[in-house]
Amino acid sequence: MHKEPGYTWKLGMFVIIGLVLFVLTIYFVGKEKNLFGSTFHLKTKFKTVSGLEVGNNVRFSGINVGTVKNIELTTDTSVMVILLIKDDVQQFIKADATASIGSDGLMGDKVLTISPGTVSLPPVKDNDMISSKSAIEMEDVMGSVKASVDNAGIITAQLAEFSYKMNNGNGALSKLISDEAFSSSLKSTLTNLQTSSSEFAKFTTKMNDGKGALSKLVSDEKFGKTLDSTMSNLQAGTKGLSENMEAAKNNILLRGYFNKKKKAEAKEAAALKKKADLKKKNDLKKSGAGKKITDEKEGGVLNATDSSMQQ
Amino acid sequence: MIPQETNIRKQETVGEENIDGTIISINGLFKSFGKNNDILKGVDLTVKKGENLVVLGKSGSGKSILIKCLVGLVPADEGEIKVFGTDISPLNNRQLNEIRVRIGFLFQNSALYDSMTVRQNLEFPLKRHSKKLSPSQVDEAVTNALESVGLAEAIDKMPSELSGGMRKRIGLARTLILKPEIILYDEPTTGLDTITSREISELILAIQKKDKTTSIIITHDMACAKLTGDRLVILKDGVIDAEGTYNELEKSDDEWIRSFFN
Amino acid sequence: MVIYLKNIFNDAGDITLFAARFFKEVLRPPFEIKEFIRQCYTIGYKSLPLVGITGFIMGMVLTLQSRPTLAEFGAESWLPGMVALSLIREIAPVITALICAGKISSGIGAELGSMKVTEQIDAMEVSAINPYKYLVVTRILATTLMVPLLVVFADAVGIYGGYIGINIHADVNLFRYFSQVLASLEFLDIIPATIKTFFFGFFIGMIGCYKGFTAANGTESVGKAANSAVVAASLTIFIIDMLAVQITDLFF
Repeated sequence: MHKEPGYTWKLGMFVIIGLVLFVLTIYFVGKEKNLFGSTFHLKTKFKTVSGLEVGNNVRFSGINVGTVKNIELTTDTSVMVILLIKDDVQQFIKADATASIGSDGLMGDKVLTISPGTVSLPPVKDNDMISSKSAIEMEDVMGSVKASVDNAGIITAQLAEFSYKMNNGNGALSKLISDEAFSSSLKSTLTNLQTSSSEFAKFTTKMNDGKGALSKLVSDEKFGKTLDSTMSNLQAGTKGLSENMEAAKNNILLRGYFNKKKKAEAKEAAALKKKADLKKKNDLKKSGAGKKITDEKEGGVLNATDSSMQQ
Repeated sequence: MIPQETNIRKQETVGEENIDGTIISINGLFKSFGKNNDILKGVDLTVKKGENLVVLGKSGSGKSILIKCLVGLVPADEGEIKVFGTDISPLNNRQLNEIRVRIGFLFQNSALYDSMTVRQNLEFPLKRHSKKLSPSQVDEAVTNALESVGLAEAIDKMPSELSGGMRKRIGLARTLILKPEIILYDEPTTGLDTITSREISELILAIQKKDKTTSIIITHDMACAKLTGDRLVILKDGVIDAEGTYNELEKSDDEWIRSFFN
Repeated sequence: MVIYLKNIFNDAGDITLFAARFFKEVLRPPFEIKEFIRQCYTIGYKSLPLVGITGFIMGMVLTLQSRPTLAEFGAESWLPGMVALSLIREIAPVITALICAGKISSGIGAELGSMKVTEQIDAMEVSAINPYKYLVVTRILATTLMVPLLVVFADAVGIYGGYIGINIHADVNLFRYFSQVLASLEFLDIIPATIKTFFFGFFIGMIGCYKGFTAANGTESVGKAANSAVVAASLTIFIIDMLAVQITDLFF
């Protein structure tokens, strides 16, 4: 009798599909932003965050694992960054993991990158503090670039001066390049050098191939060997001689001779000493008379200088 | 029959008709639309219970405005309008609605709701004012109302499928379904052929006799006026110009009044 | 001139009162739930094909049009994100609202206008039914709630249209496309745009109802009501959009 209008189910379908679409979008966007699902927090401190913003991605091994939740200034030189990270990756981030800020893509969206740390260490806990590596600031990069550019400037200036001097100066190198006379003399020097070196080459060839003593000395193996054996014989001879001498010293017959020799040596040393003392005495006498003479000489000189000054 | 619709009438807070049987009284009613466009300039009119009053007048004389003022559709500028003994001008919407459910209004073009079927058109006011009715009671009321206008077969049609005469009847049925004590007819026979006009007029008469309603009929169809009116008033230049029965006015000395009857 | 200005102020005052009445009546029982559902159906479900087709075409065309510019920068991989952003933030809400202004606002304007002219509204009033509640509140509420839903559909269909558009020239996996779209979206893209659409919906319904409800007598005014409803609603949509963008800008 009272029929339900036929459109109700269509309207219901329309409304439900619409709402589901909306809710799904919200859910997925939320998931993307980490507002849903289980997460944990990490903290890290930077001197500067280089324009990192709340909501920027956090990467671990190149995978987006979370977002920057909050950025606050703690002191005038340090900024506390709080990260929101998926629970699944907690076990992979070790306690000594470090955070750094980098750029993502050409347009410079910042990302916070966490490097894993040492495997053996325990993983981080919720609200842990991890250390940070200071970000490579664009300004720093520009600064170092500037320094190199400045250096390059100095180098090129000097290079320019150098080449100018080379072209216009009178130094040897300059002459080498610009003076024709010098170059021709250099050329003759080189020619001479060539000749002498060829002479030398001939000499060395002769040395190697010739039969003279020098040549043999250098090139003949037999001669070399003979010389070697001669030398060893000579060595053995001198060794035998020294042994003989030692034996002679200890011989009773010859002991007296050696003792006499010793005494004579001592006498001679005493006589030498006496002589030296005598000589000293004479020197002293001589220096007293000599002094008078030099004083007179000085006075003369002085007088001479006085007169020259008066003029 | 239709179970007496009780919900609103029991909560009646507005007054009842006077002891002398006056159900509507209008005193010095003024209404204008903008400057120099005065429509009603001091209308005085009383209607007794059970009376059938016909209001005649040229087009634009303000007949329709007069009855719209009675139900508060058009607020009066000045003057007192008492319906069931209550002055309606200071009433708020809720109080006004309590009076409105006791008055039926048949509009010039029937004003059927285009987007609803005939059944829904009839159910629409009924369901809102008598919520305690069971669906079968509503159904019964709708069928009865349609039968009383002789159009029971049109129940599931759309208004656009109906002819002008049928629309008028359906409109009347919709008016009747709330069992009004006063029915206001705004040109019930306009735009209809002579035969249909006569049918409608007879229908109005039948309703008056059957339900003992009080009615005000606005028309310039003299056949209808003759058939349905106990008393006639003529509206001219914003005031009641003449008053009397059909026969009295027909024999009036005034040339202008007689011109209505030719 | 003074009269002209006075008329403008009068109209503004009328519209304000009309809108204020909505908020007063919307919370007060009785509620016309059945009529509300019926209006939701006509406004929401019946507009879906139109909105869907427009959304699809907008998404696809936007993709094809942005592609050459992005390709010049070698940034074609941004295409899904860019198309989704422009669709969700601006194009889908505004285009959908304009279509609804054309379809719904004019429809309401014409419907209520003809009801007004044929005294159906008066008929309701004399049978002690609050026509404002039955006709206006249900419609404004329906547009306020259905236009955002239509925008969601337009977003979805438009983004799918973008996928088709990309696949004309390249070969992108649907899953990858959508993950790229989602990655580029933030709540700030979705929430203000969604809030905006509620205002669009409210004004589309309100202006249509106002123009219809205040139509003068005579069949000519029905056409006028429909026409001026479309014009006023479209203009209002642009103004709201501008305000919404500025306010969003101000706060975020």
